[in-house]
Amino acid sequence: MLLLIQYTLIFASVLLLVALGGCISEHSGVINLGLEGIMVVGALGGALVMKSLGTTSAFVMVLVAMLVAILSGMLYSCLLGVAAIHFKADQTLVGIAMNLLATAAATVFVKAMNVAANPDNHSSEIEYISARKMFIVNIDGFEFNWFMLVAIIAVVLVYVLLYKNRLGLRLMACGEHPQAAASVGVSVYKMRWTGVLISGALGGLGGLGYILAGVSIWKFENGVAGFGFLALAVMIFGQWKPTRIAVAALIFGLFRALSNTYTGFPFLTSLNLPGNVYNMMPYIVCLIVLAFTSKASRAPKAEGIPYDKGSR
Amino acid sequence: MGETHNSEYAIEMLHITKRFPGIIANDDITLQLRHGEIHALLGENGAGKSTLMSVLFGLYQAEEGTIKKDGREVRINNPNDANNLGIGMVHQHFKLVECFTVLDNIIMGVEPVGALGFLQKKQAREKVIALSEKYGLQVDPDAKIEDITVGMQQRTEILKMLYRDNEILIFDEPTAVLTPQEIEELMQIMRNLAAEGKSILFISHKLAEIMAVADRCTVLRKGRYIGTVETKNTTMEELSAMMVGRNVNFHVEKQPARPGDAVLEVKHMTVASRVHNNNAVKDVSFKVRRGEIVCIAGIDGNGQSELVYGITGLEPLVSGSILLDGKDITKASIRKRSASGMSHIPEDRHKHGLVLDYSLEYNMVLQTYFESRFTDRIGFLRRKNIRQYSDRLIDQYDVRSGQGSITPARSMSGGNQQKAIIAREIDKNPEVLVAVQPTRGLDVGAIEYIHKQLVAQRDAGKAVLLISLELDEVMDVPDRILVMYEGEIVGELDPKQTTQEELGLYMAGAKRDEVKDQ
Amino acid sequence: MRKALKNEGVQAFIASIFCILLGVLIGYIVLLCINPSGASESILNVIKNFLYKKPARQMKELGNTLAKTMPLILCSLSILFSYKVGLFNIGAAGQYVAGACASLYAALAWGWGWLPCMIFAVVAGALLGSITGLLKAYCNVNEVISGIMLNWICLYTANTLLTNVKESTSPYTMYLDKINKSSLLPTLGLDRVFGNNENVTIAVPLTVVVAVIVWIILGKTKLGYELKATGNNRNAAKYAGMAQNRNIILTLAISGALAGLAASLLYQTGYMRWECTQSSVPAMGFNGIAAAFLGGLHPIGAIFSSFFIQHITDGGQYVNTNFYSSQISDVISSVIIYLCGFVLFIKLTMKKFLSKKDEQKGAKQ
Repeated sequence: MLLLIQYTLIFASVLLLVALGGCISEHSGVINLGLEGIMVVGALGGALVMKSLGTTSAFVMVLVAMLVAILSGMLYSCLLGVAAIHFKADQTLVGIAMNLLATAAATVFVKAMNVAANPDNHSSEIEYISARKMFIVNIDGFEFNWFMLVAIIAVVLVYVLLYKNRLGLRLMACGEHPQAAASVGVSVYKMRWTGVLISGALGGLGGLGYILAGVSIWKFENGVAGFGFLALAVMIFGQWKPTRIAVAALIFGLFRALSNTYTGFPFLTSLNLPGNVYNMMPYIVCLIVLAFTSKASRAPKAEGIPYDKGSR
Repeated sequence: MGETHNSEYAIEMLHITKRFPGIIANDDITLQLRHGEIHALLGENGAGKSTLMSVLFGLYQAEEGTIKKDGREVRINNPNDANNLGIGMVHQHFKLVECFTVLDNIIMGVEPVGALGFLQKKQAREKVIALSEKYGLQVDPDAKIEDITVGMQQRTEILKMLYRDNEILIFDEPTAVLTPQEIEELMQIMRNLAAEGKSILFISHKLAEIMAVADRCTVLRKGRYIGTVETKNTTMEELSAMMVGRNVNFHVEKQPARPGDAVLEVKHMTVASRVHNNNAVKDVSFKVRRGEIVCIAGIDGNGQSELVYGITGLEPLVSGSILLDGKDITKASIRKRSASGMSHIPEDRHKHGLVLDYSLEYNMVLQTYFESRFTDRIGFLRRKNIRQYSDRLIDQYDVRSGQGSITPARSMSGGNQQKAIIAREIDKNPEVLVAVQPTRGLDVGAIEYIHKQLVAQRDAGKAVLLISLELDEVMDVPDRILVMYEGEIVGELDPKQTTQEELGLYMAGAKRDEVKDQ
Repeated sequence: MRKALKNEGVQAFIASIFCILLGVLIGYIVLLCINPSGASESILNVIKNFLYKKPARQMKELGNTLAKTMPLILCSLSILFSYKVGLFNIGAAGQYVAGACASLYAALAWGWGWLPCMIFAVVAGALLGSITGLLKAYCNVNEVISGIMLNWICLYTANTLLTNVKESTSPYTMYLDKINKSSLLPTLGLDRVFGNNENVTIAVPLTVVVAVIVWIILGKTKLGYELKATGNNRNAAKYAGMAQNRNIILTLAISGALAGLAASLLYQTGYMRWECTQSSVPAMGFNGIAAAFLGGLHPIGAIFSSFFIQHITDGGQYVNTNFYSSQISDVISSVIIYLCGFVLFIKLTMKKFLSKKDEQKGAKQ
């Protein structure tokens, strides 16, 4: 049971971070379907830090790994920013390309790195056993992960940013009615870039959280298994509002955690269902939830529509 | 006012030229606005008024010409520059974020903030309340835009300018969405503002309003500067000749109506709203007979759009029924209604009326492509027939386009796009023609043409249901007027008997009759 | 020349070539960064693909590339067909999985012949596609997100079901030619043309026929007229009385059928077997996106672009694996998809450039 709570919280934290990223980006008017790819790149950045930093204090490790994950996520999100904001590209197409590119590029990169270290090692895996321990504080058998705290801080920050701050007011105006924002001198491009970069930061951070959630070794060929899209579903379910997103993330986190821990529940194992059923669970729940919540969605009105200075 | 000015003029736009690909929107235009005056900018749709104001407001940059403020040359590269020079604008389509409050909309761009950009709305709220009291602009600062009336939204826009202490105020077609009474109120507000020393540019194509409120008037035509006149030294006839380039007869020529049996009958119709939880159309009943034009008048957003959606089948009814030629079509599909003799000239030709990426010929058969003359039995389009049909309509209805039938609809002018729709809908030879704001955004020539077509339909013994927001059109074209207010029909008027004032009272909900089933 | 440049098709072609060149260039740069010494050779091998082999083997290798190109063409047709209606069928990857699962299961567990297996795959794909369509039409669920979710659900379902027909010693499904020869697609003698490569089958002519049919449907029929109108302006389509929800569902069902057929045409050659432990959705559906956009969203263009994408994907195996990994071709194709996002911009720039030239010319006269 404790294990289930632990997994629920860590997966919920990751979903929450990424969903908040998606939320900010969409509030600025850019649909970020590339979150999945951003997560992979963030995970790669973090994993490299964990691998190379070696022995250091836990504080430095956590801080540096997170910072690098954030920076790599932001850097990668520039691909979306350039295409969607300046070149009016199809945001769906670009997002999907980013997901494919991230996995392929990460694989090529990690393999090259592994081969360079040892010519016989053709795997796309990075190991970070000792580093992972530094992210975790063991409290009576409950593994508290620093990401849980980070996620809570992120909700508070995003809430304050959106509803109490000048930046949030302007950013949301650009997602609702960019022409209105432009007419009072708000730079739509700047706000949309801010949205995309913040979503890159949160997505990258979430990616690192994801590979730290359950394992100490990550195979980059696998990407992040649709987690970026689950996060988008969390965002839709949360109606683009940070606090509701937090609740939605907990629900989805629970179902994701079940696939890791169902063997620990006698009554679940007695059902004798194939493990794949639990693997499918989060996706099925997501579909059902979307079917019931999408009709009355309050998505930002101008999301996905490229801003054209000339149109009024 | 004790201020001294360096120049007689608050703003001068000298020899402005602005080109867009394939068109010169402003060709050497000069406009001089005096301190404290109300200066009208008159011109037809497409004359270049909006472009000129966008140049002044920094949304576009002119290729040639200079702008002077107080006699000093300035450069305006974006709305921020305009704002810094004290220039504010109420746009024709309001620039308000619907899910924000009035206050948030007013302060956006000049938010009072503390450390780290945290909003401090207290003083802002006080300033807004003080301003609204000073100028008589009633608003609730904490209401959301989506919940308030159009009039209040406009006041929010005015407060936005006043909050920024703007001295030069531009009003772009501000009366289009208001009732006659609200228009009168707005005029009073404009006079107050001018008396306080603000300089006002008032963009309009409505002559009566210009004569009533403006001190001077500059006229544009087809992107060119025609002249500037003092309103007290001119007449409406002179202004209209300057605007159109010839003497126009705004009055629609028609014989008295000879109505026959009812073609369209609407009984107790109720339609839900997409925007809010209430019904947009509430228990509405009326008839349209052969050989008459019935006009639904009212201020925008009082349920006219939903009424049309209900009649044409774009939205389902909550309750009530619709009869076409005596047959119940309440539950019929859009296509069925079309086949039973209903034509629909939609409100928004870009949203509903045309597939802009299709060629003109494909748009000409948008309602009829599936008929056996255009599609063979296996499902292939008969492209030769479509071409011939389209060529005939283009010829018969004088639709002008670059490459005839194969012209992409997107590249046609608004007037010709509308003519294409009208050709398509009238050529179906409908029993009832539902025409929603058929002249919106068109120039005088096109408006005359369309009004003639509507009257011709009537004279051919068809029923015409016209939905209009333009008071002139409401008074001139129909044989009967039904006024809609908050989803109900509150009055039936005879255009020959009534006045604009009376019409306005009904439109504002200040007056209502029990309109019985006929 | 100038007239040719104004042609939409020519513009699309130029834009595609530009994307390919830039994509390959970026791939080359990546290789250079990893190890400069072998980069040139490896990137050339990627581009050569089967030509890398000795001439005697070339036809046979070309046959293998063709065998995989056919499903890719169908996947890209699936993507472009729905895109014309304004829907992004990323679920093609899952519909492909459904098709694979259906055809393999029918062939191995029930011993069906090739045609019933193929039809079963088509039906499975169509059903899955229509689920996305139903969700979109009646619940307003974004088709990209529901598509992704269904992709994963399908993957796990296929893994579970196909475990029943897998070899006991490996995670792969059993060989079709050992269990049920009748389920293999007929080769129509095409195998002999390609150096006795039995992977070249009826799939090749069938795919080309399907591409032409899709082209005709979109360009010449009432259905195509309706679908494109819906894609360009949903509101106008409704106004014109077109049955919107039916069209959305029909479109995604047809899309799904194409993807399902794609899987059947690959797995029923016996060239590939399903790995029951695989943890990611096969890339075929996603590569279909690249091929569809690279082909300028034209059914005939898709044939050529698919061949190119498959050509370099197969070429990936000929990189020098001492330094590089074969995924370099995935990098190239995903970069190409990304660049396809700029196609609209490239075309606009070309148009602007041309009209400017025209104006200057006009001014001189």
